[in-house]
Amino acid sequence: MRRSLGIFLALLIAAALLPVLPVTAAPGQFAGVTVNVLTFTGPQIAEPLQRRGPAFGRLTGAKINVVTVPFSDLYQKILTDMATGTNSFHVFVFAPQWMADYVTPGYLEDLTPRVNADTALQWNDIGTFFRDFSATYGGRIYTIPLDGDFQMVYYRTDVLQRQGLQPPRTWEDYLRIAAATHKKDLNGDGRADFGSCIAKKRNAQSYWMVWSVAGNFLQAKGTSEGSFFDVDSMKPLVNNDAFAEALRIYVETGKYGPPDELNWDVGDSRGGFTSGRCALTLDWGDIGTLAIDPKTSKVKNKVGAVIIPGTRRVLDRKTGKLVACSSSTCPHAVGGINHSPFAAFGGWSGGINKAAPAKVKEAAYAFLSYMSQPAQANADVTIGITGFNPYRVSQFRNTALWVKAGMSQAAARNYLGAIEASLRSPNMVLDLRIPQNQRYEQVVLDTAIAKLLAKEINIQQAMKEIFDGWEAITNELGRDKQLAAYRATLGVKR
Amino acid sequence: MAQAFAATRPRAARRLRSPYSPSPSGAVLSYAVLGFWAIVVLFPIFWIFVTSFKLPIHVLDGPVYLPFIDFQPSGHAWRYIFVDLRNDTLRPFINTVVVALTSSVLALALGTAAAYGLLRFPYRPRLGAILLLLGAAGLAAVAVAAGVPWVPAVLAAAILFLVLRRWAGQRIGRSFGNDDIAFWMISQRILPPVAVVIPIYVMFQRLHLLDTQLALIITYMTVNLPIVVWLMRDYFRQISIELEESAAIDGASPFRIFLSIVLPLSTPGLVATFLLVLVFSWNEYLLALFLTSANAQTLPLSIAAQNATRGPQWWYMSVLILIMITPVIAMAIALERYIARGLLVGAIKG
Amino acid sequence: MLKVRARSGAGPVGPVPLLRVGGAGTWMERQARSLFLMPAVAMLVALSIFPLCVSLYLSLTRLQFVPGGFRLPFVGLANYRKLIFGIERVHFLGVLAALSPLFWLLFAVVATGLLVFVIRSLRAPESGARGLAGRVFFAAVAGLLVWLLLRALTPGGRPGSLFVTLIYVIVGIAVQYWLGLALAFLASQDLAGRRFFRVVFLLPMMITPVGIAYTFRILFDLGKGPFAPLWQALGLAEVSWVNFPWGARAAVMIGDIWQWTPFMFIVLLAALESLPAELLEAAQVDGASRWQMFWKVMWPQILPVSSTVILIRLIEAFKIIDLPNVLTNGGPGTATESLTLHAFMAWRTLDIGGSAAVAYMLMFLVTFSATAYISFVHRRVAEAA
Repeated sequence: MRRSLGIFLALLIAAALLPVLPVTAAPGQFAGVTVNVLTFTGPQIAEPLQRRGPAFGRLTGAKINVVTVPFSDLYQKILTDMATGTNSFHVFVFAPQWMADYVTPGYLEDLTPRVNADTALQWNDIGTFFRDFSATYGGRIYTIPLDGDFQMVYYRTDVLQRQGLQPPRTWEDYLRIAAATHKKDLNGDGRADFGSCIAKKRNAQSYWMVWSVAGNFLQAKGTSEGSFFDVDSMKPLVNNDAFAEALRIYVETGKYGPPDELNWDVGDSRGGFTSGRCALTLDWGDIGTLAIDPKTSKVKNKVGAVIIPGTRRVLDRKTGKLVACSSSTCPHAVGGINHSPFAAFGGWSGGINKAAPAKVKEAAYAFLSYMSQPAQANADVTIGITGFNPYRVSQFRNTALWVKAGMSQAAARNYLGAIEASLRSPNMVLDLRIPQNQRYEQVVLDTAIAKLLAKEINIQQAMKEIFDGWEAITNELGRDKQLAAYRATLGVKR
Repeated sequence: MAQAFAATRPRAARRLRSPYSPSPSGAVLSYAVLGFWAIVVLFPIFWIFVTSFKLPIHVLDGPVYLPFIDFQPSGHAWRYIFVDLRNDTLRPFINTVVVALTSSVLALALGTAAAYGLLRFPYRPRLGAILLLLGAAGLAAVAVAAGVPWVPAVLAAAILFLVLRRWAGQRIGRSFGNDDIAFWMISQRILPPVAVVIPIYVMFQRLHLLDTQLALIITYMTVNLPIVVWLMRDYFRQISIELEESAAIDGASPFRIFLSIVLPLSTPGLVATFLLVLVFSWNEYLLALFLTSANAQTLPLSIAAQNATRGPQWWYMSVLILIMITPVIAMAIALERYIARGLLVGAIKG
Repeated sequence: MLKVRARSGAGPVGPVPLLRVGGAGTWMERQARSLFLMPAVAMLVALSIFPLCVSLYLSLTRLQFVPGGFRLPFVGLANYRKLIFGIERVHFLGVLAALSPLFWLLFAVVATGLLVFVIRSLRAPESGARGLAGRVFFAAVAGLLVWLLLRALTPGGRPGSLFVTLIYVIVGIAVQYWLGLALAFLASQDLAGRRFFRVVFLLPMMITPVGIAYTFRILFDLGKGPFAPLWQALGLAEVSWVNFPWGARAAVMIGDIWQWTPFMFIVLLAALESLPAELLEAAQVDGASRWQMFWKVMWPQILPVSSTVILIRLIEAFKIIDLPNVLTNGGPGTATESLTLHAFMAWRTLDIGGSAAVAYMLMFLVTFSATAYISFVHRRVAEAA
């Protein structure tokens, strides 16, 4: 009895002392901090986060916990996590296009002071567009760019060469090339192939593809001019000759495409292009790395990229008509052609939950900065599986990394040259980023385009449907509020 | 005793075969049609199986059919799912197994009890009491929405209901019977999940049960209760009451009767219902989509997640589908007799 | 209502209270009563009724984000008005054109049928005032639905998600039933290897609908699917079902039929197999041909089971979402969008009120259909049996 009492007392004292005993300290300033990162089920985007998390942990002692949800639910999950106060995540890797719905209610942490004090990040190495527009909202920085999303046109160098065609500079060129290459056998398998493959499936990526065409006609005076609405009246810019012409071109590309193009999403169009069945395609940067992967590609080193084809006629906003490009109407034209590369979706970036504990926020920022720093980022953008596309100036200067990944020197120079031309363009189109932009784009715009492509309505009706739909949403949410938000998303303040 | 037992076994157990054997030409026709449909059923499954061994280029370039003959099979998809994604595959699988099994067992427990009760005991709820119950629940809901912690709110509502029950019943005296209650329970199946999913989400969020297995278990159990009540009620109806009455006379409590006499007699029905509910829970997608993020993610969500920004990753998807259907098919094959017999409810003639 | 039926030879069943020797019910028994039923009732109230009420409230609001969080301001019936009269009308009801002569004829036939139905109940007063009111209500709503449906299907019209869902349900169940019945009959015969067919035919039901949807998506693909060489050989390489609304709807229905015919098959087969041998032998002795034996003897016997299994499938079929979502995302245009998909897409873009409104319309539709079916078909079949 005495002995067991003694043992019991000893255990009790030991248990009491346990918290006081010195714990083996982990190296680094964030020892014991766990950062929960939410993004979508990859491997794209999630893989580099998961791969580099442990390395970051060794440097700083923080534990990076990457959680993934299906892509189509990411927007919802982020919003409901913050809006309902659940706050189980500290870092979100998402598309800046969604920022409007997260910043307006005040859910995201303002990163401006941290970025300004961070030299390792090399903020000025990041492309101007991503720095000043994508990561910024209302003049404050809310995200760290990890990826550069903008669209380019890709073409088969061998096919164009065979037919003596030059890469397209305008959309009329694009249609001409598509017509000339349609129904020819482009990959040697005996089947007729297609001139142009664009992801036109409803509720997938079609509403970005159409804007890659339309933006060129609608915006010529620089990013701040905006392409969706008039900056003074908030009237949608979809009821005019320029948008009609863009729709006409978009519908006509279907003449030179696969018969079931209406059901092709970006997986099908990329698959079609890399298996050699398409002469032209419109896509984000992934084709560059997908084309050199032997598991997916039959067109290695036969792929060229070019800045989005432009137009020689742009919209005159006062009259609603198309006018020829001149130095006053198209100040940024190259060779008389106005190009407006569309930064569709914005480029995956990391944002921080404002409601996270202070120490976790510090660790979270350090992790995002780590991921974006050239030492890590420049390697990741050359690896296809990461899903990261170039967004830093230093990334498209150095062809060595790309050659190491498997591209030929010529292909690398061509690919990076197209990226550079796009990134350096002062006329990049910023994706719509006002509150509830999903309803504008995914509900109204996408449905109208789907019906137009299905020939349920004609171009005039489609334009009217988009106009009416957008006006209804704007009026419902408050015209002045939406206008202020639209202006804020296009403005730059430091 | 054995005679009584035999006499009360459900009719369906005396499976009789059709006395009609087809003529030779009839047999040929029958085999042709049945064989055709068997091919229709098996071909997509074959396609899934083969696709799980294909490289992306084999899928995207055009169809290839037979491994080793049309293309070199590769284990990359299997390796990715089992090795690279190890925990990200194991976790959804375990979630699916746990959630499906637990919710099915619970649904069966509550549902058979309710079905038996509705068949053997007279219930006569009064409209007044029902309205009071709804009113109390509504008041509790409003209180919780306004910020009152839910335990006292629910407790207060429960006490209110119990106290005022009789008074309300006397004020509005229209009473309902067992059949009405049964109809109400079964009609809950009509409810489209998409109509109730947001309030359920908010409820679980308040209880801090989001993204847990428990939330899914509770939800699936409730969603499948109507089926269990429906099927088991019709199944119990076939059991003669004399056996239970004699046991009651001998002094057995209702619980004893239920557990040791009625349930053993209804084993085929129980097994069939269990399997049906299990399959529903195993394959359910919409509710899991809303109520889980990552920790409680189930396999159907993993399948859908393979369609991310790069388009559907058919090869990974095929592996996941095969993982999902193998256990269920094994169970179905083993218990196929029970399924048929048990599903046949309520209207056997003779 | 599922009436209690007297069973021959098995003694009285039904809510006969278990009488105790010496008392009407002890404390234990009274508690047993509650304990058997209350847990199930409580769960249903908590997770079905309560969310239903909240959902009703949500359908009368509109989600708004404001600095600090979000608000749900009350907007009354605006969401419903949008669906029936407003900007979502084409999405929900469709394009309603003037009826062509053929469709006028169809409508006249249906309207006459409904009228006769109501008049007959006037003549037979046993159902009482409430029964009559129910029939009139049913006839009115059914008539309105049929009129709108015909206006959406007539040349120049286009069905919206409401009618597309109805078409999926009606066509789907019809095909599933007859196909399941045929297969069940064939499999009920004395054939070697019957068990193999029974097991194999069960498989499609076991696969998760999302998986089936993706499988059919690649099966139907013109370029990557296994039938691609067949389409090309038939000269159909340029034509895609994707571009035609009815083609796309057919694709969805084929997938649905593939998945759910097993359900009909397995139940009907069990029913056929448990028919007593004497019945069929007697018919055989009477000289009935195979055809007659099936239609005059077997089929009427399994009518009650048929009715039940159709009811079960009816209730489930209205909720179709995975196939249209994965095959075409609701396209071309909005041709394949079902009501659940419509609500789901609205929810995804944060139109919570609109999503709840569509979900409620779906519930009205299913409740109406199921109640009508139970009252006018199921009960009659069950009583006749």
